[in-house]
Amino acid sequence: MSFIEIHQNFGENTQLLAPFIAVIAIAWMFLVFYSYKKYGTKMTLVYFLPIIIATLIIESAGVAGGRYYYSGYIFYLSVVGGAVPLIIILAWSVNLFLFMNLGKYCISKVYQKQNSLQIVFISFAAGVFGVCLDALEDPIAHYNNWWIWEESLTGIKFFNVPILNFIGWFVLIFFMSIATLLIERSKFSENRKILLSISSLAITGAVIFVVQGLIVKFFEFVGLS
Amino acid sequence: MEKTIVQFILENIFLFLPIGMTGVVATIILLFLPKQQTTQKFKDVEPEYVTVLKMRCNIYTLVYLFIWIAIIIIGLASSFFVPTLVGAVIAAIPLVVSILLEQRTSKSKGS
Repeated sequence: MSFIEIHQNFGENTQLLAPFIAVIAIAWMFLVFYSYKKYGTKMTLVYFLPIIIATLIIESAGVAGGRYYYSGYIFYLSVVGGAVPLIIILAWSVNLFLFMNLGKYCISKVYQKQNSLQIVFISFAAGVFGVCLDALEDPIAHYNNWWIWEESLTGIKFFNVPILNFIGWFVLIFFMSIATLLIERSKFSENRKILLSISSLAITGAVIFVVQGLIVKFFEFVGLS
Repeated sequence: MEKTIVQFILENIFLFLPIGMTGVVATIILLFLPKQQTTQKFKDVEPEYVTVLKMRCNIYTLVYLFIWIAIIIIGLASSFFVPTLVGAVIAAIPLVVSILLEQRTSKSKGS
């Protein structure tokens, strides 16, 4: 199995996949260009690169674990045994940058102090905003086969999408926002911020892993998953 | 049988542990390495604003609005009406919050 896979069955077994890819591609190109113009190359790397690496591993693990899979895309990346479309990884970087900045914008209107509490509020808002958009996107994605959840998955579902998926969205965006904001507001040089944003993924990833693991256990305990 | 991502990572812990440990060590070194360059004070940068239908909104709200409308159109074009409309209402919350906060701030500045 190679790191990059190119499939030739574009759109197979899916509906309206091309418009979805176009929406994500337009949003990604616009936000990357905007970030580059506004914050420069180095900070754009801090905002986009860590989430791309993190979600590449998480999504690949999700596919390798057999919970869901992607069909009908062209470019796939595989790091731990599961093939993930490139556009899905880019979509995650759109999610983090967009929701973190929307959270920053909203929270700064009601809480101006630039302290740790503001970082938590911003990250919480970012996570909630992410879940709100996913409530629209995920059922449509499942219906159109942009990604396919295994039918055997049990527990509470929202239009056939497992509720743990939404919790996963919140946990990922919340902790990735905290890490990004802490690095953004640190006094290190921009070069060191880039290196820190990548190396600290190990710590952020471990925290996400533990929190998500505890939530899954809790859901299993109360019979919701 | 399908596994959660957490279960998958636990089963492949010998793959993830060395990567994780390398990251933790690198982070500690980067945090405590003496600063060779001048430190930079963080400045929060205000986003650009645009006016759409007489409503002033920032660039991020506009991108969110674009994605929201596009996904709703795709959902309706798929004849998946009820989940699309329910999801559209939930996904409108960030839009409503950011527009209301902007209007509140504009009014308080104006008065």
